[in-house]
Amino acid sequence: MKKVSLLALGAGFVASLALSPQPVAAQESTLEIVENRGVLRCQVGTPAPGFYSLSDDGNWSGFDVENCRAISAAIFGDPDNIEFQSVTSAVRFTAMANGESDVLSRTTTWTLFRDTQLGLDFTTVNFYDGQGFMVSNDLGVSSALELAGATVCVLTGTTTELNLTDYSRTNDLGIEPVVFEDSNVRDSTFFSGGCDAVTNDKSGLASIRAKAPDQSIFTILPETISKEPLGPVVRQNDSQWNDIVMWSVFAMVNAEELGINSGNIDEMRANSTNPEVKRMLGVEGDLNKGLGLGPDWAYNIIKMVGNYGENYEEYMGAKTVMNIPRPGSVNDLWTRGGLMYSPPFR
Amino acid sequence: MAVVDKAGPRKDARSFSEIVNDERYRSVFYQVIVAIAVIWTANYLITNTAENLEARGMSAGFGFLGSTAGFSIAWSIIDYAPGDTYLDVYLVGIANTLIVSFFAIIATTFLGFIVGVMRLSKNFLVSKLASAFVEVMRNVPLLLHIIFWFTLSAALPSPRDKENQIALFDSVFLNNRGLYVPAPVPGEGFQFVVIMALVGIVAAYAVAVWATKRQFATGQKFPAFWTGVGLIVGLPLATFVALGAPLTFDYPSLQGFNFRGGADVPRAFCALLFALVLYHTVFMAEAVRAGILSVSHGQTEASYSLGLKPSWTLRLVVIPQAMRAVVPPMISNWMNVVKNSSLAIAIGYPDLVAVFMQTSLNQSGHAIEIVAMVMLFYMTVSLTISAALNYYNKIVQIKER
Amino acid sequence: MTDATQSDTVFRPKPSLPPPANTVGAVGWLRKNLFGGPIDTIMTLLGLYIIYQIVAFAIDYGIVNAIWSADTYRECLDRNRGEGACWAGIAVWFNSMMYGRYPDEEQWRVNLGGIVLLLWLIPFWLPKITGKIQIGMSAVLTFPFLGAAMFIGGEFGLFLQVMASIALTLFVAVWLHVASTYLSGRSLPDLLVSITGFANKDDRLHKYVLLGAFGVGFVLSMIYLGSWELVEVPTTIWGGLFLTLVISGIGIASALPNGILLALGRRSKMPVIRVFCTAFIELFRSVPLITILFMAVTMMPLFLPVEFNPPKLAMVIVAVCIFAAAYMAETVRGGLQAVNKGQYEAAQAMGLNFWKMMALIVMPQALKLMIPNIVGSFMGLMKDTTLVSIIGLYDILLMGKAAGQNPSWLGFHTEPLLFTAMFFFVLCFAMSKYSQHLERTIGGGYGRR
Repeated sequence: MKKVSLLALGAGFVASLALSPQPVAAQESTLEIVENRGVLRCQVGTPAPGFYSLSDDGNWSGFDVENCRAISAAIFGDPDNIEFQSVTSAVRFTAMANGESDVLSRTTTWTLFRDTQLGLDFTTVNFYDGQGFMVSNDLGVSSALELAGATVCVLTGTTTELNLTDYSRTNDLGIEPVVFEDSNVRDSTFFSGGCDAVTNDKSGLASIRAKAPDQSIFTILPETISKEPLGPVVRQNDSQWNDIVMWSVFAMVNAEELGINSGNIDEMRANSTNPEVKRMLGVEGDLNKGLGLGPDWAYNIIKMVGNYGENYEEYMGAKTVMNIPRPGSVNDLWTRGGLMYSPPFR
Repeated sequence: MAVVDKAGPRKDARSFSEIVNDERYRSVFYQVIVAIAVIWTANYLITNTAENLEARGMSAGFGFLGSTAGFSIAWSIIDYAPGDTYLDVYLVGIANTLIVSFFAIIATTFLGFIVGVMRLSKNFLVSKLASAFVEVMRNVPLLLHIIFWFTLSAALPSPRDKENQIALFDSVFLNNRGLYVPAPVPGEGFQFVVIMALVGIVAAYAVAVWATKRQFATGQKFPAFWTGVGLIVGLPLATFVALGAPLTFDYPSLQGFNFRGGADVPRAFCALLFALVLYHTVFMAEAVRAGILSVSHGQTEASYSLGLKPSWTLRLVVIPQAMRAVVPPMISNWMNVVKNSSLAIAIGYPDLVAVFMQTSLNQSGHAIEIVAMVMLFYMTVSLTISAALNYYNKIVQIKER
Repeated sequence: MTDATQSDTVFRPKPSLPPPANTVGAVGWLRKNLFGGPIDTIMTLLGLYIIYQIVAFAIDYGIVNAIWSADTYRECLDRNRGEGACWAGIAVWFNSMMYGRYPDEEQWRVNLGGIVLLLWLIPFWLPKITGKIQIGMSAVLTFPFLGAAMFIGGEFGLFLQVMASIALTLFVAVWLHVASTYLSGRSLPDLLVSITGFANKDDRLHKYVLLGAFGVGFVLSMIYLGSWELVEVPTTIWGGLFLTLVISGIGIASALPNGILLALGRRSKMPVIRVFCTAFIELFRSVPLITILFMAVTMMPLFLPVEFNPPKLAMVIVAVCIFAAAYMAETVRGGLQAVNKGQYEAAQAMGLNFWKMMALIVMPQALKLMIPNIVGSFMGLMKDTTLVSIIGLYDILLMGKAAGQNPSWLGFHTEPLLFTAMFFFVLCFAMSKYSQHLERTIGGGYGRR
């Protein structure tokens, strides 16, 4: 028994290494790998309301989860052919770099460093966020610049932490950060007055407030102290895969601009005279060729996942706990004064 | 004959099975196999790592330690600013780990003795309460303890809440930001007080050695303990007064949102310390209880029959013997305190693992170097402690006849 | 005797007076145990006060103000302003905290696996049963494969099918053994030998009978397992208490054999082996588990070729196994040292070689001495397994955290923690009590020598 255990373990280990496939597989493109595997490996974070959260029956849902579903719909014609990988922010890039995940779709800020030095490529932005502060009303503060000497709760291992330091140094505020690993702990600390303010991407502040026993006593300060463009990330040097992920997001944005949604898409495909609609939904032309996908890839995305506006209202809109009104904000379409702008489907 | 048969081939050529069954050859054979396996595995891992790093365009090496970290650390006992290097972050992490472990070890040892004795108490309620404490604390994972106490400590009053303030002499404050105490500010000439204190300690030790020697030689006793106390406390105190009390205190006071001035430790520190102490006290208490129970009652009776007072019996007979059983588990408990302080990461206390293995690794991506450095620190600490333990064991070992 | 009763002058003591009223009965007990002196009295009153505070708070928070049925955390908050527990959430999330994201309709597999393991171990507690060590070893060494086949499902490879078939055969054999012991009074091997008529043949032939029987069982199991059609449940969606038990179970099962090997290696006379084993043990014992886990998830992918991409669970299990083995090695070393040197010498004098000496003479004694420590290690490992939540595995703790991030249950944070704590307490407390019981019974066994 003793001999068997360690020796067999060792022998098995060695044998499995010797038999493991040689680096020939490295040439295979991500699309081929995903198609052969039959399932998309999509990385999300540990649950964050609005973006990706877990229901009691074990399903993932949220704004960033819809990206994964869109990609899956584009490739397989089935939005749920996904193996979700939920990893902590500390190892998110490692999990991408070693090929564990095919795409990372979780609130990850696009920065120059991350785009160039981690072996990753940022595809596009599906949500423009910015860091802000929330305080309790009885602090009597109406601007972030009045926070001199305040203690601020912040999550560790994120750009949020770095931005807070920069902001404090720039404005000579002497802010004392109180860092947390777990957002639940951060929030309960904030509610009970463990810090004067809490800082997070503004998208998250409303959902933090939604956890409070009494929501009316907290105010979100007007300042936005950073730019946080969030979007899906892929491994470097696979431009076809990069295109698939990027254009899956664009398809949802463009569909909203063209007035296509999951409800009217069949009618649009049958009756629309707009050539761009026809091209996009695969009725005319062969825009799908370069992506290596079927002609109805965009149709599948919108039919099964919905357009950008639908998803926004479902997970971020005024009716949800996130409560981030869209009209006129940066996340509105460019035609309505926002930044959501898809290159033409031509 | 069998003997002849066996002796026969040995002269010419030794058969394969004989070589295999010869202990010397077999031992060499096994060792070579193991060495080759280990070296091969190491080589395999290193080659892979080099390939992987190259594929990801990452470089290995400790050069990153000199570059700017750029993030701030919530609290540290040594100076740190966001412009400092990763090496500074490493040192800050070590200092923070050591300081919380230090206080936890002291409190654990002290409380452990109390709870251990309480469990042996004749008072039914006290001993049962101590047992319940022990059972509850040790059967719940430490991680839960830490998160739980941290969450609970959020219910302390806020610093601006004047009515419910928890304060001691208006100079020590406990609130949901942390613990604030006055910071001593040494004035001119204070170094002489420190020097005199050191002199006092040396003198007290010398007196103790001399007194023991004299007692062995002549049987006369000398109040070495009180003399020592007098030297250690009296000398620096006299110097302090003579120099005109060159020490002021910087008191914490409420300015703006928070207390300013004085020295402070964050709430995460308090919660971590509290959880570590609660959890490890239990193991200490069990060691103490087992140690005391391990001293046979005959020892006490024999000591009484020699005419020793109960207090002398305890001090000269029971405790020295109990210590032999108490110290080894106590020291390994200390080691566990240092290791378990790494769970600070769950509540954001900036210990070594949190600032270096988490934040720095996340920012710089140098996984191998960082993991190796963190492991090196913990190994140094625990090997030092276990060397001390081995030394102690050697001293107190029962001299076998 | 009769003389004494007949004599008139015999001394007849008066019956002794009853003891003072305050030294017997309830009053006496109270005086003796609670109010023995002023300090005792103060301690008692203080103790009573502490108990009162704790109990009052627990009743208030956990029962009086608690909400037992609600659909969202907001509803709980609106009803009790956060002054009581929201146990309704535990009811909603209970399944998740037990099984993680394991699909509801497949959870019977996990339950069945647990029942099989329990059944496998039941013979341990039955008197009369022989070969308990073999039963235990068969369970520890082969159940993981059967479990893997059941829990993962899908198309399992040939290796897993073979191992799982061996496990299934052995499991059936164990229960046939129990049945034959209780029905016919003979152990399964004896019964098989006598049924096939080999009883009066040479003893050496007996093992062929057993091998043949095993072979038949194995082939049947292979066919049976081949007919399984289970939906594949990838390890990435395992979670909850199930995951905690899988990790700590594999950890402890591998710790014993690996720990024994390491301990023997550390005591070996061969310098190379001794140095390697000592370095391994000291390295992994001296660093915290969390650093080993971090190493597993950040460094292991760098160590292995890109194509060889093990799931995170596998890496974590390897890390936990290494950690547990290093700790177990020291426990075993303690046990080996406790065995009298005369036992080694006697074994060598009998002409036993090293492995026979260890297996037949030393280990059985050392293991017996170590049982309480082994149970302690298992409890420790189970508690330590909660750390995997820090690196993002959805164990019971992280599942509880995930609950608090669901839009309907935002802020549902304390109750999962309390629930988990209570759960661990009950589990570990029961185990430690059982270990103490074992310690006493085994100690008794030694006392008779």
